Amino acid sequence: MGELDGRVAVITGGTRGIGRAIAEAFVRDGASVVINGRDVAKGQRAVDEMAAGDRVHFVPGDACVKEDCEGLIDATVARYGRLDILVNNAGGSVNNAPVAELTDEAMEFALKVNLWSTFWCSRRALAHMIPQQWGRIMNISSVEGKVGKPGIATYVTGKHAVNGLTKALAHEVGTLGITVNALCPGAIETDMMKDEGGKAAESMGMKYEDLLAWFASESAIQRLNEVEDVALVATLLASEAGAGITGSLISIDGGSAPY
Amino acid sequence: MGKLDGKVAAITGGTRSIGRAMADAFLAEGASVVINGRDEAKGNAALAEMGSTERTAFYAGDAAKQSTVEGLVDFTVERFGQLDIMCLNSGGVLNTAPVFMMSDEEWNLEIDWNLNHVFWGMRKSLQHMMPRDTGRILVTSSVEGKLGKPGIPGYAATKHAVNGLVKAAAREVGTTGITINAILPGLIETDIVRNTGPDSAVAMGLPSYQAMLDLFTKESAIKKCNTVEQVAAVAVMLASDAARNITGCMFPVDGGTMPY
Repeated sequence: MGELDGRVAVITGGTRGIGRAIAEAFVRDGASVVINGRDVAKGQRAVDEMAAGDRVHFVPGDACVKEDCEGLIDATVARYGRLDILVNNAGGSVNNAPVAELTDEAMEFALKVNLWSTFWCSRRALAHMIPQQWGRIMNISSVEGKVGKPGIATYVTGKHAVNGLTKALAHEVGTLGITVNALCPGAIETDMMKDEGGKAAESMGMKYEDLLAWFASESAIQRLNEVEDVALVATLLASEAGAGITGSLISIDGGSAPY
Repeated sequence: MGKLDGKVAAITGGTRSIGRAMADAFLAEGASVVINGRDEAKGNAALAEMGSTERTAFYAGDAAKQSTVEGLVDFTVERFGQLDIMCLNSGGVLNTAPVFMMSDEEWNLEIDWNLNHVFWGMRKSLQHMMPRDTGRILVTSSVEGKLGKPGIPGYAATKHAVNGLVKAAAREVGTTGITINAILPGLIETDIVRNTGPDSAVAMGLPSYQAMLDLFTKESAIKKCNTVEQVAAVAVMLASDAARNITGCMFPVDGGTMPY
């Protein structure tokens, strides 16, 4: 008997990192969960590792592509008959550089993967949540959605935009039983961070280790966060008690953000 | 198997409303809980309602007094051997007024009740928690810790102040096993709001108690009050071992009221 028995969740980019931790937490609490990613082999491996039988399903797709985002929502409803919880988790940035040298492509990618994917998935999901007068939308933002480090303007801009979308949408659907929140973690050494962090650090004029140390030094805990921290809050927001929390930019950053 | 098995919690102002909901939730998750309040009869009634097990106790006293807050910590440690979770929850206003009419008595009461009580309780709790390198301090703040409505200047000022205290103290103990967080609820129609709300509404220049409720809820996205159970669920989460990396957080439970 879990808090999320019978609930259906979909998580963009949920094969690893934060999305995967949230998927596992939701499954543990009784939900059925659709995870998503570009790589079918990685998706199948994640499904096998989670070993949750019929309650976990992988739908391949690229969060930067509108048809894939809408198809993911549709596939979730087709598979499980409803949609209760949307986690807009896909995100990131590539080819970072200071703004003076930033390419259009780098900015465009960051806005597609962080902002547009959140918009496309949320709009499609609302078509299912509004009629049932129940829904939870969680946007995985970042401490960089509240502050702004140099050299990663792509990511900072994308996450700030997600936070704005979160607030506006929360007010639009506030009386409809649907909550919309942004979760703002501090830096976490996920696979994505390991893959892209080095290049981001270079853009920030430092080494990868220095980037991690910088994030940790700004926190009270003087260390990085972990994916389980985010899953803990996501589980609370998904529960019935989460009904009173919406439009919030929740810091999960070991005491980093000033507000 | 509860999320708080073996933990010991103390809650200022825990006989009713938010504090009581926290007490009930902690108890359900396996913790032992000491509740506090001024009125012995209300305290015993609360214990009876909670099932009055070996895992509950009541400590009488006014949370606006240093001796009560510090005594609650000592009592809890004596009774249950340790203190893992300190909820500095008591607070409110008695005869609030706009600044130009505010009495020194009311101002000082609100400073003692809402701010000094949190400082006294935090300091004393940390003295027990730091040697053990583990602990959770939860402060019941308010949306008024970030906003500021007219007619409740002391409440807004003291809730802003406790938020600052939480942030600073969280950094002081950030590398220990102790976390310190504030929970910021929107308006909840608790007993204390029902009792003092009509007078507060007058101080705020509003025609009625209902108008005050409306003023708070209209700023939210959900267009209704929050509930004590919603706050208690957040408290359980923050009190759990799993929340070790969440500290210095102003955790919102306000239905989308605060702008940041």
